[in-house]
Amino acid sequence: MKKKEIMIDVDNVSMRFNLGIEKGFSLKQWFVDFGKHKKKKKNEFWALKDVDFKINRGEVVGFIGANGAGKSTLLKVVAGVMKPTKGSVKAYGNICPMIELGAGFDSQLTARENIYLNGAVMGYSKALIDSKFEEIVEFSELRDFLDVPVQNFSSGMVARLAFSIATIVEPEILIVDEILSVGDIAFQAKSEAKMMEMISGGTTVLFVSHSINQIKKMCDRVLWLEHGVVQKIGGKEVCDEYIKFMEKK
Amino acid sequence: MKFINNLKWTYKKYGFLLQQLVTRDFKVKYKRSVLGIVWSLLYPIMMMAVMAVVFSNVFKFSTPGVSYLAYLLIGLTYFNYFSEASNLAMSSVVANFSLINKVYIPKYIFPLSKCLFVGINFLLTLIPLYVVIIATGTGLNWWHLLLPFSFICLFLFTVGMGFILSTISVFLRDMFYIYGIIITIWTYLTPIMYDISIINPTLQFIMKFNPLYQFINFARSIILYGNCPTLGQFAGCAVSALIVFFLGIFIFKKKQDKFIYYV
Repeated sequence: MKKKEIMIDVDNVSMRFNLGIEKGFSLKQWFVDFGKHKKKKKNEFWALKDVDFKINRGEVVGFIGANGAGKSTLLKVVAGVMKPTKGSVKAYGNICPMIELGAGFDSQLTARENIYLNGAVMGYSKALIDSKFEEIVEFSELRDFLDVPVQNFSSGMVARLAFSIATIVEPEILIVDEILSVGDIAFQAKSEAKMMEMISGGTTVLFVSHSINQIKKMCDRVLWLEHGVVQKIGGKEVCDEYIKFMEKK
Repeated sequence: MKFINNLKWTYKKYGFLLQQLVTRDFKVKYKRSVLGIVWSLLYPIMMMAVMAVVFSNVFKFSTPGVSYLAYLLIGLTYFNYFSEASNLAMSSVVANFSLINKVYIPKYIFPLSKCLFVGINFLLTLIPLYVVIIATGTGLNWWHLLLPFSFICLFLFTVGMGFILSTISVFLRDMFYIYGIIITIWTYLTPIMYDISIINPTLQFIMKFNPLYQFINFARSIILYGNCPTLGQFAGCAVSALIVFFLGIFIFKKKQDKFIYYV
């Protein structure tokens, strides 16, 4: 058997949010509380608790769990957007995060300009974008709208463009958060095929979705999160357990 | 050596992004305006004209021996750069939260790109400045070649301030309003439209600690008086710029991991 190579090592990661921060300090509140000597209430929330797993090269791992279970937070920690409160995350390879596509767009710029801008945000070089430009335009099917400002695009068109830019390189690690539902039916099929192509090319994929069918279809392993705690890691049977659990609720 | 290599690596990795962000700002700024980039040249001249009318005719300010127009425009050019760049840099981190929250990008790139963007504008405003210098008969001299030193100091100082302000504004959104007031006070505390010799000696001494005064004064002694700046002037510019620059880096670096919780 081929020796397994670890791509992502999530080591006992915990993530604390301070919900009190949301309110912050306001002058009004200060006057209201003045002289009351209120004890500062600790308003903490652990979005992740001692999450510990490893992902090998080429694996496709699905993340399931109810809303607010900490899936997106976990992906953000892996992508390096957030630093964990405790524990550490190591990723051995370049990461392409596809979390809410199009975040790097400027709506006033044209599609052509946005390809370069968003490409730069994703960490591509100018030479790379130059060489892949045609491919991006071809895949997105937006050739006729290249010089139209993105603010005039429909949301489906924006998503198509963003997906085309994001998947143009073959990253070693791909993080996907609920994006396979972009565009019309034809484009959905196309983007799914593209994803499958990347997976068979040996890309390691971390995949969040509420569509259990999609998870079953694509993933080798499934990780079930509940209130920030890993309930179960295993094969596709975890999905069935999860469904049973949700039905009982 | 390791530091230099690090810097090279960073530039290689994020240089293109920085360039893209600056171009984006440029394109967006002049999109749909008829005169476009001409505004960069026109605006400082208009400002100067208005202020010259007000201060030299109404308040009877004057600068003996040198052209008041040139005197005014030097101060305005430098101060406008600082005020616009620091304002944009301050809001740049908060404005890009949606991005910071999704992709890993070094966060300092946002204030830095704003300072560069306004910097290009600043270089354009040198054109009207030189038109005025020549038109008022102030004349040119070889010391002008030293002016880029003050540009660099002004830039470093502004970047440092941008780092500090953008950090504060993440935690305290009131900063946007507070800074508006600070900038107004700062305008009057910097001898832009008046000569420093008209105020009392104590205030004059305090004003020396105003880095913007240092930079403007450096430029004025070259352009208006044709002098080579003294060593003290060089030191004044460099020290004040570097202190604020490194202080800004220190504060930003220390706090940047916390930004994400204040989205």
